[in-house]
Amino acid sequence: MRKSLDAVIETLIFICGMLSIVFVVLIFGFLFKEGFAFFKDFGVLKFITGQFWYPSSEPASFGILPLILGSVLVAVGACLIAVPIGIMTALFISEIAPKGVRDVLKSLVELMAAIPSIVIGFVGMVTVVPLVKNIFNLSTGLTAFAGAIMLAFMAIPTIVTISEDAIRSVPWQYKEGALALGATKWQTIRRIVLKAAMPGIIAAIMLGIGRVIGETMAVMMITGNAAHIPRSIFDPVRTMTATIAAEMGETVRGGMHYRSLFAIGLVLFIITFIVNFTADLFLGKKKNR
Amino acid sequence: MVNKIKVENLSCYYNKKCVLESLNINVVQNEILSVIGPASSGKTTFLRTLNRMNDLDITYSRKGDVYLDDNNIFDMKMESLRKRVGMLFAMPIPLPMSIYENIIYAPKRLGLITRESYQDTIVEQALKDASLWNEVKDRLNSSATRMSGGQQQRLCIARILAVNPEVILFDEPCSGLDPVSTAKVEESMLELKQKYTIVLVTNNVKQASRVSDRTAFFLMGKLVEIDKTARLFVSPKEKATEDYITGRFG
Repeated sequence: MRKSLDAVIETLIFICGMLSIVFVVLIFGFLFKEGFAFFKDFGVLKFITGQFWYPSSEPASFGILPLILGSVLVAVGACLIAVPIGIMTALFISEIAPKGVRDVLKSLVELMAAIPSIVIGFVGMVTVVPLVKNIFNLSTGLTAFAGAIMLAFMAIPTIVTISEDAIRSVPWQYKEGALALGATKWQTIRRIVLKAAMPGIIAAIMLGIGRVIGETMAVMMITGNAAHIPRSIFDPVRTMTATIAAEMGETVRGGMHYRSLFAIGLVLFIITFIVNFTADLFLGKKKNR
Repeated sequence: MVNKIKVENLSCYYNKKCVLESLNINVVQNEILSVIGPASSGKTTFLRTLNRMNDLDITYSRKGDVYLDDNNIFDMKMESLRKRVGMLFAMPIPLPMSIYENIIYAPKRLGLITRESYQDTIVEQALKDASLWNEVKDRLNSSATRMSGGQQQRLCIARILAVNPEVILFDEPCSGLDPVSTAKVEESMLELKQKYTIVLVTNNVKQASRVSDRTAFFLMGKLVEIDKTARLFVSPKEKATEDYITGRFG
């Protein structure tokens, strides 16, 4: 009796464990099926390097270069803002802040991660967008820049929590050793702590980037949704994610347009896969040392 | 006999609990002074006060004064004090970089290197003084974390020598080492005595008798006895000292 119960539970756990793998494979397979059907009709190169996204005109043009550039521009902008702020916050929390401040700050940062993206988008729309418009004297504040700012807010918690873990796991003896040699606190942080924590920090940045590239709602509300090649960060852009979300409802199931959106999803999937994979490489390197 | 370090009425506390009580002790220039005593006798606290490593601990507080060449160390800048008073820890922890960089790290940070070409000389001299040069001269650029324990500890010594301090504090430097490596570290200590003043905290009573000129015995936060090593080990004045060095307690 006990033995068979054991076997049942073991099987159950095995099935649950397998399920997540099955789901990933299914999603990937589905994306592939629809995406490849589209590539067969339209051509991969034309799809990725095409400059015009006119999915409903005659003849239709499915060039996603503007969408890729839109995503990249917003993501890079967000990283430029989020990475320095995130790392410095992590340093402050783990190395400099007194204990009381540290606990409060840590839970606040974690709370920040829990804010739904639609709320961030909404807040950004009524605050950051008009601000950007007025400060830079633009015709519209719905730009890649505004999107980058709001996305930075979403990436910061990820970057802070993971880099903070990495910095905290630097052996105390490294710091003590450097200080005993007469290095100042800042010299110790810069040359020893940051250096030893670097793999973890890079992984944190990668995961932050992953979050930024995959984000949909906030960018859809803030970036202006103009599918053309941006000339500067102060242009309205449209990201790949926003395109899928906005257009899926109007497509004919099984049609060219429908499939093209899956193809975008496939491209997106590959990009995030690469980013996550890089992050894993760095995290793995840290563990093996 | 010139006094290098003078400790006057030093008391140390963690969370208001007294761990070292009105200590008066001198360290003579170019001697090895070893400090022995059972656990929680205050010997490590004493050592870590000498280069103010304890100041990093917020629960720590102290009374009394410590003079290095007649300058009160508590009035000095922490970084310049630690440049003059180097410290070797129980666990050899090389910094996560190459052997070469480990040694050049501190001189660079402290701005001791005036010319780029001078670096190699500093590294070579420091490694030679720590009697490590012959073992590592062909792999200066490999990672320091791959060395054996004894080599790592001697690398840590070399790292301190590169800053050219006046006093070196050894905090149980051989507790994790095998007898052969221990012998090598002790050998370098005896050589270093020519140029530096050394304070050695050790749990190994035999080590104290082997290397030191004078020995101090601490018990429960108090200095029980200090004397020439030869005399203290042969005819200690206090009963507690005798019990400890003959292994009857502690």
